[in-house]
Order: sequence, then C-alpha cells, then structure tokens
Amino acid sequence: MSIQFKSIVDLRAMLDEGSISASELTQESLKLAKKYKELNCFVTMNEELSAKKANAIDLNEKDSSWLSGIPLAQKDLFCTEGLRTTCSSKILSNFIPPYSATAVKKLEDAGSITVGKTNMDEFAMGSSNETSFFGNVHNPWKKGYVPGGSSGGSAAAVAAGIVPAATGTDTGGSIRQPAAHCGITGLKPTYGRISRWGMIAFASSLDQAGPLARTAEDCAILLNTMSGHDSKDTTSLNSDVPDFLENINQPIDGLKIGIIKEFNLGDLDPQVQALFEESKKNYEALGAQFIEISLPNISASVPTYYSIAPAECSSNLSRFDGVRFGHRAENTNDLNDLYIKSRSEGFGDEVKRRILIGTYALSAGYYDAYYKKAQQVRRLIKNDFDHAFQSVDVLMTPTSPNAAFKFGSKGAQNPVELYLEDLFTISSNLAGLPAISIPHGQINSLPAGLQLIGNFLREDQILNAAHIFQKNSDHHQARPNLGDF
Amino acid sequence: MDQETVRTICYLARLEIDQSKSEKIQKDLETIIDLIGSLQTIDTSDIEPLYSPLEMTAFMHDDIEKSDNKKEKFLENAAASNEDYFLVPRVVE
Repeated sequence: MSIQFKSIVDLRAMLDEGSISASELTQESLKLAKKYKELNCFVTMNEELSAKKANAIDLNEKDSSWLSGIPLAQKDLFCTEGLRTTCSSKILSNFIPPYSATAVKKLEDAGSITVGKTNMDEFAMGSSNETSFFGNVHNPWKKGYVPGGSSGGSAAAVAAGIVPAATGTDTGGSIRQPAAHCGITGLKPTYGRISRWGMIAFASSLDQAGPLARTAEDCAILLNTMSGHDSKDTTSLNSDVPDFLENINQPIDGLKIGIIKEFNLGDLDPQVQALFEESKKNYEALGAQFIEISLPNISASVPTYYSIAPAECSSNLSRFDGVRFGHRAENTNDLNDLYIKSRSEGFGDEVKRRILIGTYALSAGYYDAYYKKAQQVRRLIKNDFDHAFQSVDVLMTPTSPNAAFKFGSKGAQNPVELYLEDLFTISSNLAGLPAISIPHGQINSLPAGLQLIGNFLREDQILNAAHIFQKNSDHHQARPNLGDF
Repeated sequence: MDQETVRTICYLARLEIDQSKSEKIQKDLETIIDLIGSLQTIDTSDIEPLYSPLEMTAFMHDDIEKSDNKKEKFLENAAASNEDYFLVPRVVE
C-alpha cells in the first residue's frame, strides 16, 4: 500500500489497524527518498538506525501514541547524535554530533523515526536553498525551480510525500516561505516555545524550530511534542503548553482578522492579490470579520532584520575556527592563518557576506548607528504588534510576494532582491510571534501560501483558524506531478 | 565602503576574499549597508533597544553536579588532537 502523501493522522490509523507495520512504513519512506533522489532534498540518510528502531517498535507492546512508528525528516541544522550534521556547509561536512537537539530528542522519544537529514541553505542563510554546499533542492512542483528556503529540503520532502512531516527552523521565514512555495503547511512557533538547544545557531534572538507537514492538524501533533521548557536553553519559556490538537476544531465565528495597511497589497502581483481576496471571502463565509489595521513601522522590518541577523550570525559563527570541530585547512603557518584559511575554505559566499555585514555593524564606530538603531526599531515594530492585537485576534498576509522562481533568477546581481522574499514573514521573528503558512491556491501551476500571524503564545488560535480553512477547502490536498524526477 | 574597509572587516572576521571577488563583495556590502542605513530616518529617541523578544532574565537552574562527560566523542570531531588536548600550530617558540 502506498504511503506517499499520507498525513500523520492517516498513517496513525493504518498503523493502529495493522494494515502496515512501522518497519514497512520506514522502508517505504526510504524507498521514496531514493526514488526521488534527484530532488536533492536529503543530505544524509539514516537507513540502518531507522530500520532498527522501526523493528524494535514492531516488536514492542502496541503503542498508539501519535508519533510512534512515524517516519520524519530533520533539517540538517539540528544536531543528531551519531548522525552527520552539516548545516549544508563544507565547514561541517564531517561533523558527527555527540548529542541530539532537544527538539529532535523529544520527537524520537515519542517514537518517531528519523529517516534522514534534509538539505537547506548553508547555515540557514537564504530564501531559495541555492546556498547549500550540497547543491540546489528542486521544487517538487517544477524541476529547476526553487523550493524556497532555508528549510527547502524539509519542505520538498514533505511536498513529494516522502515523509508526512519534517522539522525546520525559521529565523526570518525559513519554515513558512518554503512551505508556501511547496504547497504544504509550516508553523513558526512563539520564540522560546521550543528549545533551541542543539540547533546550530544562526541568529539567536530570532531562530525558532517548528514543524512542516501536510496539514495544520499534523503541525499541532508535532508542536505538542516539540514544545516545553528546557533548562539547557536559557531562552526557553517556562510556560504551560496547551494541547494544540484539543481545540483545533473550534468554530471561528467572530474571529477578528487584521489586514496590515502598510503592506499595500494593491501593489502586489494581481494573481497574488486575487488569491488573497478569495481566501478572505472564504474566511468571511466561515464567520470571520476583517479589520484593516495600521502597523506604522512594519515596513522597516527588512532593514531591521538585515542589521540584527548578520550581527548575531557574525558572533555565532566565530566558533567555526578549524580547531575543535569542522573543516581544518592544511599547510597553515600559524594559529591565525589556520583560523583564516579554515573559515575561508569552509564557508560559502552568502555566509561570508553576512558575517562581513555583521562584523561591520558591530564594529567600533558603527555599533550605535546600525546594530543599536535596529534593535530600537525592533521595539517599535513589537509595539505596533502589541497595539494591533488589542483589536484583532490574528493578522493575515500572503506568505510570499510571489510563487517559486527559477534557479539563479534572483539575487545574483543584487542580494537585496532575494532578501525581499521575506517581506511578509520577517516581522514575526523580530517580535517573537507565532505564524503559520497554509496553501491557498496556485499561481501558474505553482503553490501559493497564506500567512496567519498570532499573538504571543497563541499558536492555538492560528492552528485553529488554519485547520478550519483546511476543513472547508482542498488546497492542502493538491499534489505535485513528480513525473520529471 | 572602500577596499581598505573591506580588508579591515575581512581581517576582523578572520576571512579571506578572493581578489577576483573583492569588487563584487564591496558592491554587495554597499548595497546592504544602504538598505540598513534607511533606518536612520526613523525617530528612535528615548526608545530602549529590544535585544530579545522575551525580555526576561535568563532562567536559573539548580546548581547540581551532573556527569555527562563525553570528552572522547568531542575530541573525535577535532581535525587533530592528542589525548586530552586539541592540537593547533605552535604558538610559543
């Protein structure tokens, strides 16, 4: 029986009724990964260990908890004990972590099976998965087109039906934008909701792990397991974690949805606009009310992000020096030379560019003008959100200003062109808010995403709104034709 | 942003840039600095910087001794090590 494109909810039922075993399920998933190798969505497969774990699950007493025996893929930014973790960088191409990230460990302790590690933009720096040392990932909907980034491999693996769900990380849109471009559902939780311990850091005040799956319901299942306080992460929230599945099916009658005035949706591609208007009507039919709301500083999100994220990146990535782990250059004259050559050989161009920007923004004489200034504007942006959430429950935007594009068609001449991909997603990272992207139609046969931003710790509201939308539409059930792969 | 500044930042970041890419990097950096420079038009007087969306004090945990020493495993990831140490080029003559 084919398991391709099945959701976790479907697979759970198949496992429980005995129509498939955990071992068969894992083998099917590994087979699909091989069949669609050309997508390039995996960097490392975990064949032996996953087969062993699936077998053990089959032999054990029956366990009907949600994730027991479910194959998952992990973004190659999460440390996985004994399984190579590269961050899609040459500098970590031989790194075997001595421990697993808390988020991965929680998923594995719940019985899920890590079938492989997914390709991504190098160190999560990119919006098209074109900066990976291991090559581009294809969008399953169209060969030669980007899957989005940085969690492009995870999004492509779910969209191609190889796994029902995967982990991702989102610093400025890296879960939501690839979810949108690949026609799946992706959730960035509240900052602090999921432990960052064992995630290779890019920008520590913005990074957050989250799930990519076929449905909002499956995202809730993963979020339930991944969330919670972790004493190993000092920014992990010590808040109660509600059961995100429990209230996902509540009616949304009277839900107040804000439309952000400053995003000037009228200036967007008419096809993006048309889909947005249609989704608005669908939500109105489901009982939601729309309110136009002003967030006066939100247009400053992109420049604010491109000051803060590179600054934090330049500091975080200083740990890669060729001494304790990662690539080490040969034939070096002295210690300083070893640092310089190891880093210069190990990092790709986009990572170098961001380290240099960050170094500049943090250097003497520029710190106040660039870094501190951006953190002040960040507060203004957060204040705008706080104000908005006094009159609305959630905010709605397109996830991306366009659908997926051809390899090499953006950012080669001017990197800022690619940075604008994240126009609608970046502000929720700056303010630490949860946000979800769900498929809501197609533009020229490529999927488009709708974003819902929630108030602090209100993942339940955006999951609820997303689930009700999916219950009343079939955009999330559209599947790519994988004939070219 | 001139070539001298690019060289200084490269050294601070311990990075070397190919001569052939140097001009392109300078141009890219200028474009990005222009982008973030646009923030200067926003009035932020009396606004406290927001360094983390949580604004909470770091969580404290009980000071209990734990033993999860994985020294060998950590040393295995180093390109060169010797018993208890990471090896680097000679620093002191």
